[in-house]
Amino acid sequence: MKRKRIYITVCAIFLAGSITESCTKLKQNTYSVVPVNNFYQTPDQIAAGVAPAYIALQNIPDGNVNQMNEITSDEVIVPTRGGDWYDGGQWQGLWLHKFKPDVFVDGGWSDLNNGIGKVNFTLSILNGLAAKPSNYGSIVAELKVLRAYFFFQLTDMFGDIPLVTDYNTDPSKVIQVARKDVYTFLESELTTNVPLLATNVDKTTYGRVTQYAGYMLLAKLYLNAQVYTGTPQWTKAITALNQVINSGKYILQPNYFDNFSTNNDGSSENIFVVPFDKVNIGGNNWEMQTLHYSSNLTFGLTGQPWNGFCSTADVLNKYTDPADARKAQYLVGQQYAADGLTPLQDPQANLPVIFDPNITSLSDASGLFRMKGARNIKYHPEAGTSGGQSNDMVIFRLADAYLMLAEASLQNGDAATALVNVNTVRARAGAAAWTSEDVTLPNLLDERSRELGWEGWRRNDLIRYQVATGTHYFTGARTPAKVDDGDTHTFVFPIPSPELISNPNLHQNPGY
Amino acid sequence: MQFKNLLKVSLLALFCFFIVPAMAQNKTISGKVTDSKDGSPITGASVLAKGTTAGAITDVNGNFKLTVTSAATTVIVTYIGYDRKEVAITGGTLNITLEASSTSLNEVTVVSIGYGSARKKDLSGAVASISAKSFNQGAIINPVDQLSGKIAGLVITQPGGDPNQSASVRLRGQSSLAGGLSPLFVVDGIVLDDPSQFQNIPPDDIASYDVLKDASASAIYGSRGANGVIIVTTRKGSAGRTTISYDGLAGTSTQSKYYDLLNSNQLRAAVPALGALDHGANTDWQKAITRTAYEHRHNVSISGGSNEFNFIGSVNYADQQGIVINTDKKQLGLRFSAEEKALNDKLDIKAGIQNVSTTRSFIDYSNFSYIYNTPPTYPITNPDGTYYAYSDFNQANPVEHMQQSVFRAYEYLTLINGSADYSITNALKVGVVGSITRNNVQTHGFIPSFPLEGNVNQAGQAQENTNSYKGNIHINYDKTFGKSTLTLLGGYEYNDYLYDNFRALGQEYITPDQQDNNLSAGNSLFNKIYSYKQEYLLISFFARATYNYDSRIYLTATIRQDGSSKFGTANQRGYFPSFAAAYRFKNDLLSNVDWIDDIKIRAGYGITGNSDAIGTTTTLETVGPVGSYYNAATGTYPNAYSTNQNANPLLKWEQRKGRNIGLDFSLFKGRLTGDVNYFNDLTSNLLFNYTVPTPPFVYPSILANVGSLTNKGLEIALTGQIVKGPKFNWTTNAQITFVKTTVTNLSGVYSYAGQTYPLTAPQIPVGYAVGRGLSSNPITFLKPGYSPYVFYLPHYTGTDASGNQTFDGKTIAQNASPSGHYIDPAPKFTYGMTNNFDYGNWNFNFALRGVSGQKVFNNTLLDVETITRLPGNNVTKEALTNGIKDAPVSSDKWLEDASFLRVDNATLSYAFKNLSFANSLRVFISSNNLLIITKYRGLDPENKTENSSGGNVLFGNNLNGSSNQAYIDANYGGQAYYPRVRTITLGVNVSLK
Repeated sequence: MKRKRIYITVCAIFLAGSITESCTKLKQNTYSVVPVNNFYQTPDQIAAGVAPAYIALQNIPDGNVNQMNEITSDEVIVPTRGGDWYDGGQWQGLWLHKFKPDVFVDGGWSDLNNGIGKVNFTLSILNGLAAKPSNYGSIVAELKVLRAYFFFQLTDMFGDIPLVTDYNTDPSKVIQVARKDVYTFLESELTTNVPLLATNVDKTTYGRVTQYAGYMLLAKLYLNAQVYTGTPQWTKAITALNQVINSGKYILQPNYFDNFSTNNDGSSENIFVVPFDKVNIGGNNWEMQTLHYSSNLTFGLTGQPWNGFCSTADVLNKYTDPADARKAQYLVGQQYAADGLTPLQDPQANLPVIFDPNITSLSDASGLFRMKGARNIKYHPEAGTSGGQSNDMVIFRLADAYLMLAEASLQNGDAATALVNVNTVRARAGAAAWTSEDVTLPNLLDERSRELGWEGWRRNDLIRYQVATGTHYFTGARTPAKVDDGDTHTFVFPIPSPELISNPNLHQNPGY
Repeated sequence: MQFKNLLKVSLLALFCFFIVPAMAQNKTISGKVTDSKDGSPITGASVLAKGTTAGAITDVNGNFKLTVTSAATTVIVTYIGYDRKEVAITGGTLNITLEASSTSLNEVTVVSIGYGSARKKDLSGAVASISAKSFNQGAIINPVDQLSGKIAGLVITQPGGDPNQSASVRLRGQSSLAGGLSPLFVVDGIVLDDPSQFQNIPPDDIASYDVLKDASASAIYGSRGANGVIIVTTRKGSAGRTTISYDGLAGTSTQSKYYDLLNSNQLRAAVPALGALDHGANTDWQKAITRTAYEHRHNVSISGGSNEFNFIGSVNYADQQGIVINTDKKQLGLRFSAEEKALNDKLDIKAGIQNVSTTRSFIDYSNFSYIYNTPPTYPITNPDGTYYAYSDFNQANPVEHMQQSVFRAYEYLTLINGSADYSITNALKVGVVGSITRNNVQTHGFIPSFPLEGNVNQAGQAQENTNSYKGNIHINYDKTFGKSTLTLLGGYEYNDYLYDNFRALGQEYITPDQQDNNLSAGNSLFNKIYSYKQEYLLISFFARATYNYDSRIYLTATIRQDGSSKFGTANQRGYFPSFAAAYRFKNDLLSNVDWIDDIKIRAGYGITGNSDAIGTTTTLETVGPVGSYYNAATGTYPNAYSTNQNANPLLKWEQRKGRNIGLDFSLFKGRLTGDVNYFNDLTSNLLFNYTVPTPPFVYPSILANVGSLTNKGLEIALTGQIVKGPKFNWTTNAQITFVKTTVTNLSGVYSYAGQTYPLTAPQIPVGYAVGRGLSSNPITFLKPGYSPYVFYLPHYTGTDASGNQTFDGKTIAQNASPSGHYIDPAPKFTYGMTNNFDYGNWNFNFALRGVSGQKVFNNTLLDVETITRLPGNNVTKEALTNGIKDAPVSSDKWLEDASFLRVDNATLSYAFKNLSFANSLRVFISSNNLLIITKYRGLDPENKTENSSGGNVLFGNNLNGSSNQAYIDANYGGQAYYPRVRTITLGVNVSLK
């Protein structure tokens, strides 16, 4: 009897114990995600953990950053066609330089800061690993140079920016750093880390930051030094560019368009690209943004494009040499179906699709206005897609290096070098060689538009030339509707309202 | 040892109780108890000789036989739901008729209050109850429609006419911005995993609803109680002869309203040179995609039992066509529940199983915009019967798309529950409850390649499992000491929630007839697979004490501790207390006032929670795939891994502090009854994704408990027996609810690891106008000082001489982005009224329901009432005359008054009496949505009133319009409105003898 009682007591205690232990324990299982401490253990995991900084880059060449740099310039316009593309006036506002600290501008800010945040996170994790990977040094250098690209774009667009380089920074202490100090930081960061980067240009470095991509970035920084600091650095820019050009790793692609084609990963000219793929990496929607609703019949697209981005006659008129192959990036005139014979018709306007670059107004509800504007097919549309093209998008390429070298040399008083370099670029395009009289800054600026149209540098170029020459390249009048305001506060965008809210330490840029 | 003695004494007492009266001199009386209204026999009524302990229970035919002492002169007859009656004992057989009781403070009405029940008159919280005889009638397929407009404070909104859309159920306003807004549904004591599961339960199985409205009542459900609780009791078997009943209905539905789009001749007149756009047809595309829909529903149930055992089994089948082609819902429900009493009724065992299989057919909501865009001059089909094909931006043949695309879902919901309660003594009971819920959803889809559109065909399947394992152990103590009664409850509960899914997609099939049945047969480059799993635990302790002094003074206190594995480790367990008191005047102060039957005041305070917005791993630092990158060396596209979120280890539940005062009354012998409630609730620790600076944060927002909002309201419910006579009865039920929800704060600090980070949101954009040229510009906001989703719109001031719209006097050319004005869209009050007329065997019932002061943004007309759409897109007639010549701009012109008064239902029925084969037989004709009075120009003013997201998405198509935006009625993309229907139904209810 007593034994039985003991037995019952033991059972009861055991039962009560198991209830309080297992029936009140709140353990959280993670099935589909990995606790951060269990990751970064194998070389594959390290590789996958470094890559997010490159994922962030996928938003740049065809996202808000590109649009903010092109639609604010003379190269790209997004007119309001009927009701289409009004979107609260944001596209008209870009063209007219009536920038607002809105959700759209915040998109550009966020895309760039996303890259910086991802790099900081990865650097912090790698720094905390007990067993560092063997290539730790080169990984850190690569990530820092990639981060420098995001910082460069951010300060170019927004001026004084938060310069957060440590993931563990106290968020309440994040303040803006003056643009010239960002410049100093970037110069130091790049001169320290670029020499540590890979110099092999092959499949192992495709789509990644190499030494040459690093020097291109450094050259961009120096080329714009006058804008950022008030002091030009033409010689330093030339030195950095020569690191790229004289490396012998790159030659101009004989056919200009091969740099942008669907399978452009064989380009011998592209120095730094963002890979895209119709199956695996979405984000290149070039064909959708520019082409007409009916253009899917021309290019075999699986959906109707959006009839948005286009160029005015001023852009096409820069191609003064009829032999210039680069003009073919713009579509004008009657469009045809894939057979090349059937004229395209706009069913909703009930008119033939004839692209007309003569845009005289920013907004028009007429059917004819739907066909206005030259369309850009530099990145050739890919049949079987509706956006999500496979064309890898270019950030740096050799032709840009030649034109930058020409500009820096001319600014430095070396017109001869400028002439040689610009003619190298023109020759590839089939355009007639310049003579020494042709080598002027305005002509060089036009040449940049012919060569680098829609590639995301135009705003940067116009501001730099305006600062260097005083001519109102950026703030001046443009057809249609843009007046010469001469107001240089638009050299930088407003700090987006959501950012001012989330970080009260930030102050708005002057004039906004 | 003591226990055994107690048992002996008890048994002896029980023995004496029965034996003693039999020793006196006796007589036997007999009789029959029937319903005064239809003469049907009442089974199970209690007949007691007054002043004695002798009693009997009526049998299935209402008969009873009772032996009483010769001194007995009166019997007392009682039965649940009927008025108590005293009848003098006469010489012969007693024919006793009982009248159905109507007082809301009825002596015997029993209400579920969560983990127990109480008599209605003893309640101290705000609880509304409704039983089957008061449910809405007519074509009810979704059970929540039984309640619509019936209960003050409860707003049920059907977002359209799609049989596959869930209705939104909201109690006392919105109290969360990111979490669920539906009340918790508890079916036979089991909390449903997802409130929308309830809408799959066949309506015929439901016996009653008890709605716990205030926090003092719902706090027993702790961190899940903030939106209130609806306790559902299903029908049970009862002792007596086995009964078989059948309920059936069949009906037809048609679209209740159409937009006034141009027909072909009107288009030709408006656009003289249509040219290639004129294909000679005159198609009404709104009618081309719709049809007269048929629906029928059947329910057979068998129930019965003895004193120790009862059971009910039922089979339901419902087939509901949608009025839009290819939308259907078919449902087969099986249910069995039983109760067994054993060990001298000390042990009570209940078990139930319910299975509902639902087959759904969907259409892609983005196809709706084609009916507004396509010119009426396009035919539906070619002369050879094939579909007429055309393709342009946002234009395609909607009939072809809806007919040929396949989206189907098969849902299997199984609820299994069991419980055992044991009475240790008369006062002390212990019990256990266990349940298993499995919900499996299989989605199948196939989109063919359409001629001229260039799209590739796509196929896919998805599997989702939402399972849970739940149980509780509870102890009840119930004891009366003199005039005091004390009831205690204590319990422990364990809930384990699991969710997983699996999805596979493919495209480019060369044999499209196989649809999604051979997914790997397409272009293998595009084969995609996905899977996901999550789990969390909710472990709780709860207790309740109620004290009742002389049925006059009532005190209730509850406490619950909820621990959830979703919560941050620092806040893993939360406490949810409540207190309430009530006082009944009738038993003392007002005992001499004849016209007052009963009157009670109540006051309650409680704290409830909501943690829906917290994901299972939101508090944890985790990494996962964030996209593919290109590895050129291997030519592969591996996944990049990074942190998934800005983890917030401090996350906890949102907290609603509810205060309620109320008054319940019954006047003039039950002719006028009702209740009034005033509540003033504050929800704090509001979860929202507040913006934070990046970097250092990796993501631009963090889920945090920062904001607050208030809900204040007044609810009045009245029931009046306006005419009460032998043949004619008229009863009216009316309720009106005023609720004001105000966002009071969206800013604060979030502190972590010793650092304090500001989280500030002076205004958060939420809803967007949609349509061509309307993207990226929010029109509704969360803003402190306003109700959720306040509009911020430019003020339309007419047009200038050339037809350009002006906003505060300026055209778009003069001011490209005009600034706006804040306009509150929330209703001022909602109301409902039911009138019930009985005349002999006839019954006529109609239900009105209305909303006043609500505004809805008519995004559809903003798009369609625009002349610049011509000639390629159709417009409304108004577009030709409204004077606007320029492109659409969001403005207050389109924010329309959406107040309405709807005749929700009207039903005429006839009950046959005294039939040889049936206990009861009733036939009816009914119409739903018979009439609506509104100024709103859209298809229906009853629209989306809050944001929701997610839904049944296979290829990114929106299959149920679920990405709704609050107060925005759109027709673009996936945000279309499925037209509302008007339904005529014939039905029969029969209970066989």
